[in-house]
Amino acid sequence: MGKLEAKNIEKYFKHDGKQLKTLDGINLNVNDGEFVCIVGTSGCGKSTFLRTIAGLETPDSGKILLDGQPLSDTGPDRIMVFQEGALFPWLNVRDNVEYGLKVAGIPKEKRNEISHRYLDMMQLTQFATSYTYQLSTGMKQRVAIARALVMEPDVLLMDEPFAALDPQTRDLLLVEMQLIWQKTKKTIIFVTHNVAEAVVLGTRVLVFSHRPAKIKKEVEIDYQRPRLTDDENLLPYQKKILAELRPEVKK
Amino acid sequence: MKPNVLAKKIGFYALIIIAWQGIDSAEIWPDNIFPSPFEVLEDLAYGISDASLFFGIGTSLLRLVIGLGIAIAGGLVLGIFMARVETVNQTIGSLVLGLQSIPSIAWVPLAILWFGLTDSGIIFVTAIGAIFAVTINTYTGVKNINPSYIEAARNMGAKEGQLIITVLIPAAFPYIISGFKQGWAFAWRGVIGAELLFSFLGLGFLLNVGRQLNDVSQVIAIMIVIMGIGILVDGVVFKRIEDKVMTRWGLR
Repeated sequence: MGKLEAKNIEKYFKHDGKQLKTLDGINLNVNDGEFVCIVGTSGCGKSTFLRTIAGLETPDSGKILLDGQPLSDTGPDRIMVFQEGALFPWLNVRDNVEYGLKVAGIPKEKRNEISHRYLDMMQLTQFATSYTYQLSTGMKQRVAIARALVMEPDVLLMDEPFAALDPQTRDLLLVEMQLIWQKTKKTIIFVTHNVAEAVVLGTRVLVFSHRPAKIKKEVEIDYQRPRLTDDENLLPYQKKILAELRPEVKK
Repeated sequence: MKPNVLAKKIGFYALIIIAWQGIDSAEIWPDNIFPSPFEVLEDLAYGISDASLFFGIGTSLLRLVIGLGIAIAGGLVLGIFMARVETVNQTIGSLVLGLQSIPSIAWVPLAILWFGLTDSGIIFVTAIGAIFAVTINTYTGVKNINPSYIEAARNMGAKEGQLIITVLIPAAFPYIISGFKQGWAFAWRGVIGAELLFSFLGLGFLLNVGRQLNDVSQVIAIMIVIMGIGILVDGVVFKRIEDKVMTRWGLR
């Protein structure tokens, strides 16, 4: 039994009055502490699958199990980091990071203590009282990651969190993300359309076919960390994945 | 305000007063129809010296604050409810649009019949004139919230009640503040209009007294006070809140 299991997940969307199959019976078993990356073309359904795990979409059939227990609604055991961060502009960085703790009714001193730890981990301490409009895109994503980590979720779900970043910032965050994963031993499912990113981060990379989405190929990546995007030893993995992905782009 | 903008404004108003004085000096109309700026100023000074002006302003503003407060509270609840429950929008929502087209003055006869010539009647007219503007803006604001905010909050464990307080209202605030601003404008018109017709204390009442006494300068003096309060509330209170909200929410 894995930490998180997806069993035969199917999902349809209405499009021009027709039922369009988006997820085609996806089965996935993620072990505790795994870093699973999902790559696929834009609009292939990979984000829908992640949102289904998060409980933000309801599958038309199949189920999601966490520690063997079926899940129905969204909840803080599976925290999502959104593509654009989805930070609250009316709260400063610290209050954003503490949001989930606050709605859980955790007292202020305890909240401050927890948020301090993660702000420190994400190198945000000096920005604790800044508002989001004062932050760069990279900083915002750091806050979004800190906000997710304070919840200490069983599974961290990341939906193309680095897609809008410039290459330098992205490379930096890719290294940091690996260190965070090693430090916190979190189970992470990370969706991206960037193959190099997936190869650097993942212990396992899943290639999704274009609509309807299915797991087309699984690639295990057993290589030292922290990995860098320009490491030539990672190129064969990238090639293998790209070879699977290329026919999907044409669909 | 930049000094040159301020200078332009002062110059403009000075020109108006000079022109006004010029027309008065030309003696085209008699003084009881067209008073000089000085006579209006005298009336203002008189109102200040016997405190009747302050009493009028205080009475009108108190009614405004209570009426607007009711409108804001009611409009927020109604607007959020409309945005979150489709049936409420389809039913009450259509009625709100209809009711909004009724000028607040048109509520006066009903208010007099229901409440008599009382403070409550005037407050009723004020509140009902403002509530639908707050409602519609709140509704639009909540409908336009970035769905990721709501998803993120639910994902982090916020229940519906917490969602309303911690996400829906703050996220919709740029719209809600326009609702308050519109609501205030409607409420201010409503309160003055109702006081005129109720003829029961306040600035509207003072306007009416001026008319009954054939005192044109008092009428104009009160109108200037009404306008001045309008400028003050719009330009100082709302502008400051709006500036802060727009900056923080990243809208400019």
